[in-house]
Amino acid sequence: MLGMASLIGAATTVVFLMIPLMLPPVWAALGGPAGTVERDRVMMKGQRQSRGGVGYSVDTITAAGMQVKEYISPDGTVFAVVWKGTGIPDLRLLLGEYFDDYRTGLSRRRTPRVRGPFRMKNDRLVIERAGHSRSLWGRAYLPSHVPTGMKPEDIQ
Amino acid sequence: MMRLVTTVVVVCLLVGCGNGDDGEISTSTGPGLPVSIGTWSVCVTINELCTSVTICQPGTDNCQTISDVLVDIGSVGLRVFGSVVSTPLSQTTDAQGRSLGECAFFADGSSTWGPVQRADVVLGGTRAAGVPIQIISATFGGQSATSNPCNGTVDAAPDEANLNGILGIGLFRQDCGPVCAVNNNNTLYFACAGGSCAGTSVPVLEQVQNPVWLMPSGNNGVVLSLPTLPATGAPSVSGSLILGIDAAASSTPVAAVIPTDPNGFVTTFYKGTAFPQSIIDSGSNGLFFPDATILSCAAPLDSFYCPPNTVNLSGAIVQVNGRQITVPFEIANANILVGTNNAAFNNLGGSFSTFDWGLPFFLGRTVFIGIEGQSSNLGTGPFFAF
Repeated sequence: MLGMASLIGAATTVVFLMIPLMLPPVWAALGGPAGTVERDRVMMKGQRQSRGGVGYSVDTITAAGMQVKEYISPDGTVFAVVWKGTGIPDLRLLLGEYFDDYRTGLSRRRTPRVRGPFRMKNDRLVIERAGHSRSLWGRAYLPSHVPTGMKPEDIQ
Repeated sequence: MMRLVTTVVVVCLLVGCGNGDDGEISTSTGPGLPVSIGTWSVCVTINELCTSVTICQPGTDNCQTISDVLVDIGSVGLRVFGSVVSTPLSQTTDAQGRSLGECAFFADGSSTWGPVQRADVVLGGTRAAGVPIQIISATFGGQSATSNPCNGTVDAAPDEANLNGILGIGLFRQDCGPVCAVNNNNTLYFACAGGSCAGTSVPVLEQVQNPVWLMPSGNNGVVLSLPTLPATGAPSVSGSLILGIDAAASSTPVAAVIPTDPNGFVTTFYKGTAFPQSIIDSGSNGLFFPDATILSCAAPLDSFYCPPNTVNLSGAIVQVNGRQITVPFEIANANILVGTNNAAFNNLGGSFSTFDWGLPFFLGRTVFIGIEGQSSNLGTGPFFAF
């Protein structure tokens, strides 16, 4: 079974390495279906743990000193992604179709330069980055998909 | 911030910032590295504390002094733009002879890319030999500012970043540590050859180092002292950065020792809520924290608070004995602060989801920063004390 799983994993890796070049939005983690979490785990070469909760579930991927949590709503949508660790995971992978919004938000803070923790916030999307050397963290969530009764500060 | 930056530049042109005679406020805490705000030509952002650093070709007297280097308690390692370095340094490589490069990530969302090279680093007259530093160069290893391994656009030039370099003298010995010594996919270190770069592990002592802990003396941490400011700020401020904690700790009263968690975080209580991922960071130019009762400014200052009247607040940071030390502070209207044309303020703040005790925290204080594993009269790092 282990051998089988490895083979499948390797094949999946090859397929997904090719496809995002052509069809990135379809494979989005944030805003995408829960099934994309496993794709993220394979790409990150990480370990995965799932935990059910009231009104949502959380998948945690750990790899190379980093931890990624993906929050999944009852309808199976990834509505939040949280990362922390010594490095920063592949945000093109984790933010999917929202990665371009993130890059736009970043460039808006570059000129003119703002020296404070990064935050972009609109009705559609909230992204934050903070921390310092040895421990960087960030989170992205879709306000309209956050389950009723859950507060933004619960996403961490 | 465009207005912030432009305004400061204009003021400098008009009155000659750096002459030290136009309302400059300074502390006199003895010998150390001079640090200042509002006296530089590249470090022109409000509350941007900078200094000069000397680097040398390893083992030689071939040295140069680089000005406009950000004094950053929130990062670890010296990083300087390759475009301002004229001294030959030695490139570090992996076992296959590939050149080592790094992505460094900062809380403000910026990142730097470039090779890891060894230099002798001189701080306040003390010299550390063969220190791995980062040379900031967007085109290193066949990469570019927009296409690189760093998840986004990297800093390309001093005038864009508003600094020539970053002196990261925070809580740790290296910027990554054991994680990057055993994982290829650490997202920080890369080995480059033939125009392409791949993730690589790097032994701890070959990673970018906090130059302070490699100094022959005064290597247990740093002491940053900055003067108190009036509520309307000042056109410039000068203070000192001392290497080594013990001498200053014996002559300066210390109210609190704050050990950090293994990740360098402290816990702040604010209006009844605990924020366990709080940071103390001279490289952040304001006090950033969550308070829905304080109005934020309109764009482009929307990262900052704009209360109609200055508000008096306080946070409490958890100490070594579990007790809390209360830190009072004020938040003024950032639009009005900018209108003063001053460069340094102790009451600039903005909204964020946790506590970032930025530069205003350091004004009017002597803050001790203890490096991990280094012992001092105030304890073994990582810790803050003030």
